[in-house]
Amino acid sequence: MPISDLPILSMLRTRMQWHQERQRLLAENVANADTASFRPRDLTPLHFGPAAAAQAGGPVTLATTQPTHIATANGSQFADRRGGYDVRPTGNAVNLEDEMLKVAANQMDFQAATSLYSRSMGLFRTALGKR
Amino acid sequence: MDFMKSMAVAASGLRTQAGRMRVIAENIANADSTAKSAGTDPYRRKIATFRSEIDRALDANVVGLGKVRTDPADFRSKYEPGHPAADANGYVKYPNVNSLVEMTDMREAQRSYEANLNVIGATRRMIQRTLDLLKA
Repeated sequence: MPISDLPILSMLRTRMQWHQERQRLLAENVANADTASFRPRDLTPLHFGPAAAAQAGGPVTLATTQPTHIATANGSQFADRRGGYDVRPTGNAVNLEDEMLKVAANQMDFQAATSLYSRSMGLFRTALGKR
Repeated sequence: MDFMKSMAVAASGLRTQAGRMRVIAENIANADSTAKSAGTDPYRRKIATFRSEIDRALDANVVGLGKVRTDPADFRSKYEPGHPAADANGYVKYPNVNSLVEMTDMREAQRSYEANLNVIGATRRMIQRTLDLLKA
């Protein structure tokens, strides 16, 4: 089995490809920020299915140890603003600030994936012994 | 490589905003270009339009400068009887360029240009991270 087919490495590779594709879409959105009747696009979040969740031991949830604690639905995050688009009179719906935030987040997540990848490689190097 | 596509798309944005800047510069430069003689029109304000086009080789929606249109708004007129382009009543037609509108347009072009530069910078850093995998 090639080393790149290990579950953790193939997942990281999928994730990096996803970020790469997303960067292209975000670049399109920014480039078309002044094009009439252009609607921004984005990728759906990446899910690895139930197999990955089982491997990670399920999602981390908040424990309610007191009856006065606010019950949260299995530790979900606070809902993001999901209001539709702010469409300008020209029909363009690109919000440059939002797109910049997404570009920065995409870059940071990609960096996290590459760091994890090199750490995993370091793990193999440790197992193989020094040099 | 997909990152190169991101760069190419952002570069098309840079090119288009630069073209828009050129049209704005023309308008500002010609803000006082009157006609040579009475009865003819002075400089008419130009408006850059954008269009999203699919680049087949790139398989992405790049942006391009569309047709440069002219502003149909009325010309300004000033009372200058001694001007060579003055009509019978002594009024001269001046271009329909409003420098305030042009300045606002210019700031918007600048902002979009910077946003595209930002995307290129982010993409470049992502490529760098990928290359760093070799070093680790």
